[in-house]
Amino acid sequence: MHEIVRRAINARPELTVELLRRGMFEPEEKAELLQSVPMRGSGLSGLPLGPVQFATLLAEGDTQLAARVVTRKILRANELTWLDRLLRFRSPNEKRDELARIVERALEGREGNARRNR
Amino acid sequence: MPVEIVEAPPNVLLNSVVKNLTALAARAWMKRWMITFTAPTGIGKTTAVDYAERTLPFDHRVIHCKQITTRYTMLRTLGLGPGEKWTNHGRNWMRASDLYDRAVERIRERPYLLIIDEADRLSMDCFEILRDFWDDARLPMLLVGNEVLTQKLNRQHERLFRRIRVRFEQRLLGEADQRKVLEFMGYEVADEEFALLWKLVGGSPGFAEALLENANEIAASKGAKRGIEALEGAVRYFPTCKKVV
Repeated sequence: MHEIVRRAINARPELTVELLRRGMFEPEEKAELLQSVPMRGSGLSGLPLGPVQFATLLAEGDTQLAARVVTRKILRANELTWLDRLLRFRSPNEKRDELARIVERALEGREGNARRNR
Repeated sequence: MPVEIVEAPPNVLLNSVVKNLTALAARAWMKRWMITFTAPTGIGKTTAVDYAERTLPFDHRVIHCKQITTRYTMLRTLGLGPGEKWTNHGRNWMRASDLYDRAVERIRERPYLLIIDEADRLSMDCFEILRDFWDDARLPMLLVGNEVLTQKLNRQHERLFRRIRVRFEQRLLGEADQRKVLEFMGYEVADEEFALLWKLVGGSPGFAEALLENANEIAASKGAKRGIEALEGAVRYFPTCKKVV
């Protein structure tokens, strides 16, 4: 199973649905995900999330999934801004700092991840 | 020389955070001191820094730190004159030591107060550079950050810590102040909603705003106006708050 699919399965269901709705996954990953989590009909059940809701679920959830969401350019500018803000409410740790760096780089229009030399 | 504070821009509420921060900035400048201002996240430090940036009547520079701020980017910012743009790219890049000399020269020519917002995010080598600026150019500074700043300075930067003259800790806002800030931000909060918010986030308007915005979106998705149910729904998104409830 793809790592990203495993993380999406463990995330809050409304977040997984929103990611599916926004076309976050590659066709293979999508098929794998739909196989593991049977969703009603096309897998797009539930109401779409608002920008703050979406950013909150990312900030409070799995950091590595959130990082993938940012690097795959699923987020709109206002959602990125909220994510950047919300990340500061949590106590810092290495993974969260890495995510914050990725978000900041995305806000500046830069691509890729932002691994710092250790 | 007494420092005159310019009138508040209309979009800022002059609460205790703003007043304390501007007063400390003025003090740091007048006495040529290094001061730290720490407060919990979401209390309005960045708003206060923005206010200070627009209103302080003496030379000052503000650095809004990010996780991606490095020693080099900091030196580059301080090495530039007001209004100057960075043009040395690629093969014309400058060495960090040259940038440092340039920044020190500029500070000696025309001193200013350096305000660093989110200083808790600075890395070890950035703190070392700040100490060097203090030693070589007596650059007055106001370091603004959350509780992590004090911990970081205490544990890892003793030499810088010893040079700090005032360590100010801002307390959370009181109930009445919190209510005033939320009203100023345009939120009409019912008494029961406010009671829940107060229980969850105390005097942190930033955190309260995040909860209220979530609640607004939950209510909007159901075609209703925000109420206590929507706010309780929003709490589910914040695992730490959920524990309090």
